[in-house]
Amino acid sequence: MHLTDTEKKMAAGGYGTGVARCMEILVKFGEAFEAEKMVKIASAHIMPLGPPQLLEEMTQGVKEPAVLTTIHPYMSAFDPFCHKEMGIPEAFADQELSECRQRMEVYRHLGFYQTYTCLPMLVGNLPRKGQFVSWVGSSAQLIVNSLIGARCNRDAVVALASAITGRTPYRGLLLDENRYANVLVRFSDVDPARLSATQLSAVGYFLGEKVGNRNVVIEGMPENTPIEQLKTLIAPLAVTGAVGICHMVGLSPEAPTLDAALGYRKPEDEISVGKKEIEDCLAQYAGTSDSVDMVLFGCPHCTVSDIKRLAVELMDKKIDDQKRLWIGMPHQQYVLAKKMGYTQCLEKAGAVISNACMAMVPAMPIPEGVRHLATSSFKAAHYISKLTAGKVDVQIQSMKTCIEAITGHQRKGKVQ
Amino acid sequence: MKMTGNVINGGTVQGEAVVLGVPFSFVGDFDPETGALLIEDNGLYGKSIADKILVCTTGKGGTVAPFIAYQAKQARTAPAAIICETAGEMLSESAILIDIPLIEGLEKSRLKMIKQGQEVSIKDGTVQVE
Repeated sequence: MHLTDTEKKMAAGGYGTGVARCMEILVKFGEAFEAEKMVKIASAHIMPLGPPQLLEEMTQGVKEPAVLTTIHPYMSAFDPFCHKEMGIPEAFADQELSECRQRMEVYRHLGFYQTYTCLPMLVGNLPRKGQFVSWVGSSAQLIVNSLIGARCNRDAVVALASAITGRTPYRGLLLDENRYANVLVRFSDVDPARLSATQLSAVGYFLGEKVGNRNVVIEGMPENTPIEQLKTLIAPLAVTGAVGICHMVGLSPEAPTLDAALGYRKPEDEISVGKKEIEDCLAQYAGTSDSVDMVLFGCPHCTVSDIKRLAVELMDKKIDDQKRLWIGMPHQQYVLAKKMGYTQCLEKAGAVISNACMAMVPAMPIPEGVRHLATSSFKAAHYISKLTAGKVDVQIQSMKTCIEAITGHQRKGKVQ
Repeated sequence: MKMTGNVINGGTVQGEAVVLGVPFSFVGDFDPETGALLIEDNGLYGKSIADKILVCTTGKGGTVAPFIAYQAKQARTAPAAIICETAGEMLSESAILIDIPLIEGLEKSRLKMIKQGQEVSIKDGTVQVE
């Protein structure tokens, strides 16, 4: 692997032991994947996870990250600022709090932006088309590649190493030739403009299973589809599959036309998706009970527009005693939603709004007594089912049905 | 019997083979506190892979995997090495981070020649089975 003089100096310890450790990881990883060189990145997005020693090891002697760096949501549903309101068992909170505080101290000290969201592009980490970035988070990666046109691989610890050094191995989806679509997706007997968020999530869940790790292009999405629908559609592609880029003709920066997205080649596969595929996915998460103890929204995190829709739905309703509603969103969008009066409406009803990840939820943080959980997100349903290993029954419902399941009262007022 | 593969992370180790016929991830398939496998394959659920040579088909799983691997290294429950057909990004990151040998590019038919519990030694990408 070719390294510049600066990169060689980084590897040799000329910039301290943390930088050297990071460069060692990047070089080994780059060589394993036959990268010819390193490239400079525009930004990084890292995971707030792992033993604090790992963070210390990789930041030893480092004053600040080399590039703008944001942070992914709190993992295992543990939000240090509202775990009590969320009903997270105290024993689990005690176990998490110390490491969480240690990491936060490092982030604050080094100037990693504590965004705690899977949508870093909504809170100041917005690269331009063609720039390289190293981000964690499969949804964030799909959005940055498919909707922004910046270039990102599926990175984990590599993202932290890239944040510290400002470099990442030139490989995978950073290269032009690896970004063209291989699989063409068309809608059969459904109009994508009329699909609900839950139905779009089902489309993504179905497609991920079919395409594996190949690049996708979807034809037929209306040009004015809002980000809320798009993020819902593409997030599950990295759940049942390991898709890194999903072009949408007319919407994606690298897909002005179908031919351009395909690199002027024929697709190796064509998939059609319609009513049957959506219904089959929904049937996988039909649930075993009509009664629900808890509802969860915000996978991927809610935007202010998502929150507005939820506020309209929950206006003048009250969540039943012993039932819970968790909503994940970035704090920065929370501030905006509060200014608009939406969050008060939700919190008055009994919802808890958190910066935690709403997908990677194991059994430990789930409040006692919760057996049946509903969500509108296939990504959340998939991971929570797996991580709780049968202890929690997870069903997928539309946003309205989810809310009806935890509010006994009928709607009285109207939001303006 | 000797076989060679691509070295993702180098090193020299020796240990007992634990052979999975399925993909492996440090997330979901493994308990970092005990080193136990959490997947049901070849009757290995609960079997510890601490200090063993793990043989699997491919790597899989999300971006949490390398952090779990690091936790395992601290708890001394990590495998001594991993041998597989295709490692993928997350298994590669994990092995590089905790510095255990990871050899990929061994065909299924070759991997099948490694039997459960056999003594395996790894040196510079060469896998030797007793």
